[in-house]
Amino acid sequence: MKILCYGEDISWFKQFLTAVDKIHGEAAAVTTKPDIAEEVSKYYEKVYVADVGIFNPEVYGKFVAKVADEVNPDVFIAPCTNKGRVVTGMYSGLKGTACVSDVMDLGVEGDTLVVTRLVYGGTAKATIKVKPPVSICISPGAFKEGERTVSGQVVNVDFKVESKVKVEFKPKEVTGNEPDKADVVVVAGRGVRNKEDLNMIMELANVLHGAWSVTRPLAADYGWTDTWIGISGLVITPKLYIGVGVSGQPHHIIGARGSKVIVAINKDPEAPIFEEADYGIVGDLYKVLPLLIKRLKGEA
Amino acid sequence: MKILVPIKLTYDVSQLKFDTSTNTPLLDACPKVIGDADKCALEEAIRLKEKYSAEVAAVTIGDTQEHYRIIKDAYAMGATAGYVIKISNSEELSVNIVAELLASLYQKTGPYDLIILGSGSSDTHSSFLGALLSAKLGLPIITGVDKLTVEDDKVQGVSTMEDGTYTFNGEPPLIITVTSEANEPRIPTLRDILRSKRMPINEFSSEDLGVEISKIEITDVKRYVVERKRIKFEADDEEKMKEAVEKLIESLKKEGVI
Repeated sequence: MKILCYGEDISWFKQFLTAVDKIHGEAAAVTTKPDIAEEVSKYYEKVYVADVGIFNPEVYGKFVAKVADEVNPDVFIAPCTNKGRVVTGMYSGLKGTACVSDVMDLGVEGDTLVVTRLVYGGTAKATIKVKPPVSICISPGAFKEGERTVSGQVVNVDFKVESKVKVEFKPKEVTGNEPDKADVVVVAGRGVRNKEDLNMIMELANVLHGAWSVTRPLAADYGWTDTWIGISGLVITPKLYIGVGVSGQPHHIIGARGSKVIVAINKDPEAPIFEEADYGIVGDLYKVLPLLIKRLKGEA
Repeated sequence: MKILVPIKLTYDVSQLKFDTSTNTPLLDACPKVIGDADKCALEEAIRLKEKYSAEVAAVTIGDTQEHYRIIKDAYAMGATAGYVIKISNSEELSVNIVAELLASLYQKTGPYDLIILGSGSSDTHSSFLGALLSAKLGLPIITGVDKLTVEDDKVQGVSTMEDGTYTFNGEPPLIITVTSEANEPRIPTLRDILRSKRMPINEFSSEDLGVEISKIEITDVKRYVVERKRIKFEADDEEKMKEAVEKLIESLKKEGVI
């Protein structure tokens, strides 16, 4: 099968390699980031690239559709991120392909794609059979980064389209706290009572050289910070996730399920997060956390 | 100003239970609701109705009593027209067919100045629908809007994505997808609810809309279980707490994650 992979960072392009292998495909790449095109060409025979400006769904969708006119893919693959979903939707609408999001696994049966996707807010997996042409969005962490060495070709695409929508972009402040990239992520849930108590969460993250984040209510309802872990926020795949005072609602857990090891600290022994955890401490976080931090610092 | 708001009847997944022996979802026992983001879309449209005496049409796809109920709910919130596209087992429709049905309804009952919809439904959350409609209708789109401002024919949407904040500026005709952070949807009063019961619901079939229906082929749905060790350390007194912390650190070292 012919495949076209769309992405904006190298890690995603490596994850796509694994997906491509599963359907025995031949893949080309398309990106809007000229600065990564050379690197991507170490993994893909052809990398189509154009700087089409700040993200605008219409412009990005039309750009990938134009590249597809050349590649003629059976399968279009994109990351299951905010942008990836929108670009995939635009692409599917323009090219008239079926589309599936939140894809966890892939296979082929004859001329049919067998796709496993998350449904019901990430609480269940459904297996779907779909005939190409099809577009899919891959869940973060669903496929390991693949390896491949080719010396591919970068193809600069001449592309210009006017959109009636004008876009301004303000990059995320660089704070050094990047839960979606860190090996260890400490997450505060509603058991954390005051904004000041986040200092404890940050300190634990610091000791473990990791990042920190929160569940949705702490960000969206209380406004303690901007982003959160969960289906409507960030999806993370660290080696170690530590949930502190996190109850474990499905919409949050879907954002953390790809973690290698999950630790929960919660005083409610019935909290659903213990079902999702490898290790749990049933106790008062206000006592457990200071002790844990102290012990990790080697002070006790 | 004319606004179309597609709403979806979704499972309230926070209340979804699974059969413990087969791991299949117990969907019949799960309550159904208008998704959070869809409700925010309705709220934005109704605020515009109040500001610009806009017409707000709510539409859903399905043929159960609950589908009719959510259109009544939309009337109670302040919608001025309600449509049901009558299709049985509508949850099996692909998002592509949903987009075709809505695009056709847009042509038949519109055109509209704005289509406002939730950025994702609470059950499948693919976020494809707005973009598919944009492509099919040839209308520009702004997506994932947390904060929407409309001043006459100037539309501004602020959207937070992985790498930062995007401010989209456009003008009607336009498609806007809003997140569940966009606003706090109103709760209708008893009077609104009583009034909504008398409001008419216009029905369309797939034939009326000229769309050929096909369903997704789903072969299996199972609870998503990640195998975890589920080791719990009790820490209800000081002694146990010390022990628990030691054991946790030891275990994490063994796992090679700290």
